[in-house]
Amino acid sequence: MAKELTSSSYIQHHLTNLTCGKVDEGWTCDPHRVEEMGFWAFHVDSLGWSVFLGIVFIVLFRLGIPKLTTEAPSGLQNFVEMVVEFVNENVRSIFTSATNPLIGPIALTIMVWVFLMNLMDLVPVDYLPELAKGVGLEYFKVVPTTDPNITLGMALAVFILTIFYSIKVKGLKGFIGELTLHPFGKYMIPVNIVLEGVNFIAKPISLGLRLFGNLYAGEMVFILIALMMFFSSFAFGIMGIFLHVGWALFHILILALQAFIFMVLTVVYLAMAHETEDH
Amino acid sequence: MNINATLFGQTIAFVIFVAICWKYVWPPIIAAMAEREKRIADGLEAAKKADDSLEEAQLAFDKELNKAKVEASELIDKANQRASQIVSDAKNKAQDEAEKILSSASKTIENETNNAKEELKSQMSEIIIDTTQKILDQEISPEKHDDLLKKAAAEL
Repeated sequence: MAKELTSSSYIQHHLTNLTCGKVDEGWTCDPHRVEEMGFWAFHVDSLGWSVFLGIVFIVLFRLGIPKLTTEAPSGLQNFVEMVVEFVNENVRSIFTSATNPLIGPIALTIMVWVFLMNLMDLVPVDYLPELAKGVGLEYFKVVPTTDPNITLGMALAVFILTIFYSIKVKGLKGFIGELTLHPFGKYMIPVNIVLEGVNFIAKPISLGLRLFGNLYAGEMVFILIALMMFFSSFAFGIMGIFLHVGWALFHILILALQAFIFMVLTVVYLAMAHETEDH
Repeated sequence: MNINATLFGQTIAFVIFVAICWKYVWPPIIAAMAEREKRIADGLEAAKKADDSLEEAQLAFDKELNKAKVEASELIDKANQRASQIVSDAKNKAQDEAEKILSSASKTIENETNNAKEELKSQMSEIIIDTTQKILDQEISPEKHDDLLKKAAAEL
């Protein structure tokens, strides 16, 4: 890069996605024309990693164990069964009033996929972007869950599923009634709509932003630690190594926890959509 | 960091991965786990059954063993009785036999004694007669004892 490397440009570089979108002349991935693209642009790096890690999940959980044994399992099958059992148990403990064969797969996909996406946070912040620079990509963000589009995209899918099952279980009337007749009865419908509407919309937004916020903050700390090693003295560099290791170890906890929380909340929201009794 | 179409891209990716998981990942794993669970439960039940039947067999075995023991002791008692009976029978028989032998022996001895006595008697009388004859032959001469002989003849 011709530009001189400064702290702010370093951070800015790490927070910018590889974006492709449509401009007047057609499709382009030029990072200087992102403003022109408007809404119809794609973060190719986030989506690419996201899809790649989804494929990793499928490979691990299906193609990695072509022969499922009913004898004592070993190796990968052992791990896979442990995860599935864990997810299934959680789903069963939350989903008590109704059964839905789709909830388990949703929960499993979310937990493993989000965990894998979070796990990319542990790859030192400069490795993959520098590699990408090697093949001519100026910006390359690695951790999909530090992109609000990704987390909110999943939350949106969960939101749509929630609405779908609410209507399917309670009927359109029941669903609308739930939004309008609570908590004050039918004479206060406008107030009810505001209160319940906020409650309803807040669920997916908080679901997506929680994951994004946690991972974004974690990624930012990694970037700052890396920054410290670049722009400071040798002694700070050494300290930075220990800081990085310490934060990475601590971050493992957050990665797994956030994946778990995303899964549990998804299941809870879907369970609420299945609940038919009046409050 | 803009909100853009990536959002929908991720939503679509999410739906696709959930669908794949729902169709191809979740069911076989759950089925395998359920089947293993069933097999383990069956195995445990079979083990319990085997345990029960073992206990039953042990009980039956003990019963049979006790029965056999009782029978055996009965048999031994019987055998002892029979043996002592045989011994006492043999004893009696032997005693009888001995008595018989004894009595026949004493009879034989008596006979022999009598025979010997008879023989002795006859031998002695022969000897006596012989000797007497010899003496008489010397002593008695017809002339000397003529009147004696005459007397005897007269007596006849």
